[in-house]
Amino acid sequence: MNLLDIRNLSIELIHDEQNILAVDKVSLSMKEGEVRGLVGESGSGKSLLAQALVGVLDDKWHVHADRFHWRGIDLLRLSIEERKALLSRDIAMIFQEPMACLDPTTAIGEQLTEAIDSGQLSGFFWQRKQQRQAAAIKLLHKVGIKNHRSCLASYPHQLTEALCQRVMIAMALARRPILLIADEPTAAMENTNEGQIFRLLASLNQLKNMSILLISHDLENITYWTNTITVMYSGQFVEAGTTTQIFSKPLHPYTRALVDSSPSANLHLPAKSRLKTLPGSIPLLQHLPIGCRLGPRCPRAQQACVKAPSVTNFHGHKVSCHFPLTPLKSPPKKIIKGAC
Amino acid sequence: MLVFTLRRLSLFIFTMLLLTLLSFSLNFLFPGETIINLTGAINATPSQLIELNDAYQTHRNIFWQYITYLSHIINGDLGLSMASQSDISTEIVTLLPATIELSLVALFIAMFIGIPLGFLAAIKHNKFTDNLILSLSMLGYSIPVFWLGLLAILTFSISLGWFPSAGQISLLFEIKSVTGIQFIDILLSDSPYKWQAFIDATAHIILPACVIAVAPATIFIRLARTSMIEVLETSYIRAASAKGLTFQQIIFRHAIRNSLIKIIRHVGLQFANLVTIAMVTEVIFSWPGIGRWLIESIYQRDYTAIESGLLVLSCFIFIVHILTDFIYAALNPLARGNKYGAR
Repeated sequence: MNLLDIRNLSIELIHDEQNILAVDKVSLSMKEGEVRGLVGESGSGKSLLAQALVGVLDDKWHVHADRFHWRGIDLLRLSIEERKALLSRDIAMIFQEPMACLDPTTAIGEQLTEAIDSGQLSGFFWQRKQQRQAAAIKLLHKVGIKNHRSCLASYPHQLTEALCQRVMIAMALARRPILLIADEPTAAMENTNEGQIFRLLASLNQLKNMSILLISHDLENITYWTNTITVMYSGQFVEAGTTTQIFSKPLHPYTRALVDSSPSANLHLPAKSRLKTLPGSIPLLQHLPIGCRLGPRCPRAQQACVKAPSVTNFHGHKVSCHFPLTPLKSPPKKIIKGAC
Repeated sequence: MLVFTLRRLSLFIFTMLLLTLLSFSLNFLFPGETIINLTGAINATPSQLIELNDAYQTHRNIFWQYITYLSHIINGDLGLSMASQSDISTEIVTLLPATIELSLVALFIAMFIGIPLGFLAAIKHNKFTDNLILSLSMLGYSIPVFWLGLLAILTFSISLGWFPSAGQISLLFEIKSVTGIQFIDILLSDSPYKWQAFIDATAHIILPACVIAVAPATIFIRLARTSMIEVLETSYIRAASAKGLTFQQIIFRHAIRNSLIKIIRHVGLQFANLVTIAMVTEVIFSWPGIGRWLIESIYQRDYTAIESGLLVLSCFIFIVHILTDFIYAALNPLARGNKYGAR
């Protein structure tokens, strides 16, 4: 059974004149204990998708989906409060810019202890405070902070970014989540710290069987840590498959370009020549192209691309393209007459 | 924290020095003789004048004159009032506490009404409650205070008869002045009618304090609303809600403190405005405070009184300003402690 199964999730920005479809029918499924990467350029709606999953988007965003199952429970049938309670119990999220995600006026200790669910504590109410404190110290040890006393007493601005991210992870662990969503957890971090954070996440995945949805714009960097990868472009689903599938046999022209644009794929290039990239840049939210949003930049685009392609499944390797690169079966023939 | 305190103190001292420089220069700018402007001794005999000239060292250069002026002020000698020939410092000591009482009560009313209303408006952003509170605050801000004061007297004291219209306390009660702050004096006194006096004094202060509080309260509503909206959009609030906290927990544990930080500095700034409103209101409600006294001395061209009143009032405003700075530092860990990555 899938841990998480989302079909055709759309997120709309409510606007005065015209609603903007920021995320257009994205499907995502995760298995228990899986580390899935969610990759896309900045502005491709991956953070939005993650925030919609946790339910922290504000009123100006409108979310709807055809299917939203969490461990076999149909969340769309639950009321908003029940859904929120269930999700906040089982799903935790860490954000980019960890320092901005901690309340600057409250000590770390207080912020960490309030994240601990009182359902986990036993004993009478006068013992609760001590138990919370002990639990907070344990959490800090789990994420590799040894000097717990000074960490609990300090304020966010007194810690480094990497320490703040560890604290954020500790907070996320406080509810013993089944799924951890990490939204660019190492953005603006140095290489050594980046490695520490990723190793910590990997060990949590292996020791606690915690599933992780790792969001990143850097495809190359997260391949080492993920089992499966979903690629998004400009709010649309592009391709999903195992990490090796995505890397060695990308089916979508966008994924191909993404893999090619990394320096390690271009090792044979002569010095000081340009990297292979797609022409143009990601479209603005106000000027989204119709159909497949990669269309204007895609080297393989044809007339059929003015209609959004449906998802085709090649042995678990899903791709959303009219003209995939190396199709295993015969390509779906859909020619639209008179499309303009 | 010690460095923070020392910084505020040095700021206080230098600002006061500048203010005394201003009031000292006013002695030369006002019409009339400088020594008379300084001391207020308009009926002095020639021999007394010689004594005064000696006391203020007018024969020496202007720097030493300023130094002696300063030493007079520090010793509490502010001269005589030109109008009444009474000692200004004793008058101020009796009048200033009434103003402090009135303006502080008004400030607290403005804060306790304005800030929660602003928070409420921000939480109900773009809904009916928000619009209602905003339009009310616009209305309250645009009403002139003297008109509002007269209107309040007309409705609440004359038509309805709920509150007295003038004065600080009914003349029936005899309260010995110990601290000058009336409420504390009442509580300290051993009169058998202590509680009646307390209730009477409360009834007297409610109307003027509310009239003063209206304009600052509307400003606090707007400040609180904008800062709360800003705070609710920050990523730490989003992170807190992803952590599983309820909306109430988020508001009470994180949002209120962070938005108070943004407001509290403006409270200090608004206090100067509030004291100005209080001066006008004191005239309307015949409140025996320094504002009414100062306005009367302006009418009577009482230069010594104007100078000293200016000095004392600005000193009071400045002290309140520093106090709000301390509250700011207590709320905000970023303001206290070392800056510029000193460690």
